[in-house]
Order: sequence, then C-alpha cells, then structure tokens
Amino acid sequence: MDVLPMYEELLEDIAQKNGLREVNPHLKLAGALGAIFLCLLSQSYIAPLAIALLLSGGILLLARVDLRTVGELYVAPFSFALMSVSVIILLAGGGQPFWSWSPFPWLAFSITRGSINEGIFVLCRVAGGMSALIFLALTTPMTDLFIVMRRCRVPEEVLDLAMMIYRTIFMIMDQLVQAYQAQRMRLGYTSFRESVRSFSMLCGSVFIASWIAGEDLIRAMDARCYSGKFAMLGEIQPVEAKPLLAVIGFLLVSAVIVVLTGRITAI
Amino acid sequence: MEGVLPASWCIVWWLLALPFLALGIRQLRKVLDTDRETLPLLSVTGGFVFILSSLKIPSVPGSSSHPTGTGLSVVSFGPWITTVVGGIVLLFQALFLAHGGLSTLGANIVSMGVAGPLIGWVIYRAFRDTRLNPYTTVFLACVYADLFTYFVTSVQLALAYPVGGFWTAFLVFMAIFGITQIPIAILEGVVLSLVFKYILQLKPDILIRLKVFSEEKILATRSDSDALQIPA
Repeated sequence: MDVLPMYEELLEDIAQKNGLREVNPHLKLAGALGAIFLCLLSQSYIAPLAIALLLSGGILLLARVDLRTVGELYVAPFSFALMSVSVIILLAGGGQPFWSWSPFPWLAFSITRGSINEGIFVLCRVAGGMSALIFLALTTPMTDLFIVMRRCRVPEEVLDLAMMIYRTIFMIMDQLVQAYQAQRMRLGYTSFRESVRSFSMLCGSVFIASWIAGEDLIRAMDARCYSGKFAMLGEIQPVEAKPLLAVIGFLLVSAVIVVLTGRITAI
Repeated sequence: MEGVLPASWCIVWWLLALPFLALGIRQLRKVLDTDRETLPLLSVTGGFVFILSSLKIPSVPGSSSHPTGTGLSVVSFGPWITTVVGGIVLLFQALFLAHGGLSTLGANIVSMGVAGPLIGWVIYRAFRDTRLNPYTTVFLACVYADLFTYFVTSVQLALAYPVGGFWTAFLVFMAIFGITQIPIAILEGVVLSLVFKYILQLKPDILIRLKVFSEEKILATRSDSDALQIPA
C-alpha cells in the first residue's frame, strides 16, 4: 500500500509559482467556468476538443507548468472516462452494429456507429472540462479563491470551515508523511495485514495530533480576538487589459466553434 | 468527473443538493454558535475526508474508486453537517487535485455528501442504543456510507446514460464499481473504526459532549479494551 508519496507535491505548490500567478483570479475563474459551460453546451465533439487543446496550450506555454506534471494529471480522469465510455460504446445502440455479442438473454453488447459517436463525444467533453479544471487548479492558489468566495458572499461559517479544513489538510499531510516514513523504515508495510494495522494506527495518531494542533490554533486565534471570521489580508491582483482580452478572446473563439460545429459527429 | 454528465443532469443534481446544503449550513451555524470547540474537530474530520477520498488505492485499472471517509463525520456531527463538510472537500478536490469537477459537484454532493452519509446515519442511529459495541456500529456506518455513495453514483451514471435501458446500465456500472468498492469500503470501515477507537481512548470527553454514544457506553467500552494502555 504505497499510497502516500503523492502528497509530497501538491498542485497548490505549483499554483503558487506558476506563470499566471499574478493574473486576477476572477479572470481565471471566468475563463475556466466559461470553458466548462461551453463544453456542456456543445453538441459536437469538436468544440470540447478545441477547448482542451487551447487550455492545455495555456497551461504549458503561459503558466509554464512542465509537460510531465500536466500529463500525469490527465491520466486518472482519462482512465475513469475510458471506463464509462467503453460501457456507453458497448451498450448504446444507434445504426447498424459493426460487432455484437449477447452473453445472456437480457444483456447484449454491440458496437455501432451511433455508440462510437456518443463515446467519442463524451470522451472529448471530459477532456474539455478536465482541462478547464486542471487549468484552474494549476494557475489559481486556493488562497486567492477564498478571497473570491468571500466577495461572492459565501456564508461566513462555510468559508471559515473551508479555511480551517484547508489549513488542517497541510497539517495532516506533514504529519502523515513523517509518521509514514518512520513506519516504513520499521517495516510497517511488509504484509497486507501489517499494512492495514499500520495505516489505521497512522490515521488514528495523526487524527488526534492534528486535532490537538487545531485546538491550539483556535486558542491562539481566540487570544488574538478571533470572532469566527478570518481576517484576510491577501490582496487581489487588478484586472489588466492583456489577460482580460485573452480570456474574452478565448471564450469568443470557443463559443464560435460551438455554434459552427453544431452536431458534427466523428464517423 | 468534469464533463461526464450532460448539462441537464448537472442542473438537476445541483438543484437537489442545494436544500441539503442550506440545511447543513443552518445546523453548522447552530453548532458553532453553541460550542466553538467543535471547529477543530470538524476541520480535522474534513481534512481526513479529503485525504481518504483522494487516496487512489491501486486496484482494477480505469476505476476511480476511493474511500469516502464520510462515516466518521456522520457519527460525530450527523448527516447534514456532513453534507457541508463533503461539499467543501469535494470543492477542494476539484480545485486542488483536479479530481471530480465543478459542473458535477452537485451530483457528487448528492452521492457522497447526502446519500452515503444518510444511510450511515440511519445505521448508526439504529445500533447506537443497542448492545452492539461502538466499534462495530462505526464500522457498519462507514462501510454502508461508502457503498451507498457508489450505489447512487451508479444511479446517476445510468440516468445520464441509460444505454440498453436504465437497469442494464445501472447493473453494469454497479458491477464495475463493486469490484473495487466493496473491498475498499470494508477496509475503510476497519481503518475508521480503529481511528474511532483511538479517539475513544484518548479524548472520550468530546464524544460524550457530542452525544455520539451514551456516557456509560463509552466508559464501559474504554475500560473493556486492553489494546491500548494509555493513562487517562
């Protein structure tokens, strides 16, 4: 159960130092949400694919995130999407089947022109949507999004809890990684039984340790007049002309592609 | 996963999720007003839900199975606050790890934040005041909260893609999730009930204050167990 090493590098670290860090978060959010909206609106596979390509280009060239990191991010959603899409391709009908097989009377698999088109369409929509999400995750640190959320009047309690959870995640992760390394060094994960036992012990002890750390944090904040509302000192970057034009241009081009491609299918 | 659900279903699930979120926010406000000390516990629970639900346990390739971790929160705070915690965690996953999605957030809140926790809560309430030991109760609540989450996810996928009819699609999605999710759910139950055991041993006061189990039961379980020898 070698599951923890991934936590040593979070997207948040990349987001804190990417090439688009200084761009106004409202703009980046508008670009990403607009892209997701257009992907869902599109009836053809071409527009989501174009959005995926444009945004991936943006991530690589403008935010200057390295290709490997971005590639790895796409692996998990794609494997999940491929699974769902293969179910759609095998089960959906529409047109003359190229191949069919019926193992049980109530279950029939077939591959048809319609099902392939539907499959490609869904796969491209996932690619478009995920690239928008990855763009947002890699370019906009959570701290900026908190400021945006407060401006959008997200309820104080939720925001407070969200910020505490955010802080706690880092606390938990620090401790998890340390204790996990120590456990590994003492051969804590050699067999399955041992792994379950070590992992539970790890979670239990880290749970309590971070809880105590959280209580200390609240106490420290109370001592500094915390009243259930975090003061946020972060400044929001002003909207500049160039990024504004870029986002408008991107959304316009994507919208035009959505309209022009209509219901074009893959095959 | 962003883009998996068509626009119409995204809206439907968002609309379904909103009243539960509103209810959760109201309860959260009440809990925080009366007892500020629950905030650290809430945030650690949220942090754990985040970490557990972003664990990719190596399993059948192509599946995005993972523990949900909501069981512990349900037992401590009830289903509605868990909806808010689940919602925040799902939002973080989307913005932090690019798991899940924003358009599909509503659907994910309904499955992981409402449906799963609700079943976990029903099971916990059913067994809370019986003679069943608390660890087993927590184990069952966590396992069923996890399994039911995937049951609802399968319903959501089958509704959006009723290929070969709703039931065929539903059974196929269930079968695919089942391969990985059943062992994960059981493992999650084991891990979370052991975590619960640590809490019970080290900080039973908060469990008593939150009325997770009756005081007598907690004290009785504590003195019974000999696995951990920690001075009170």
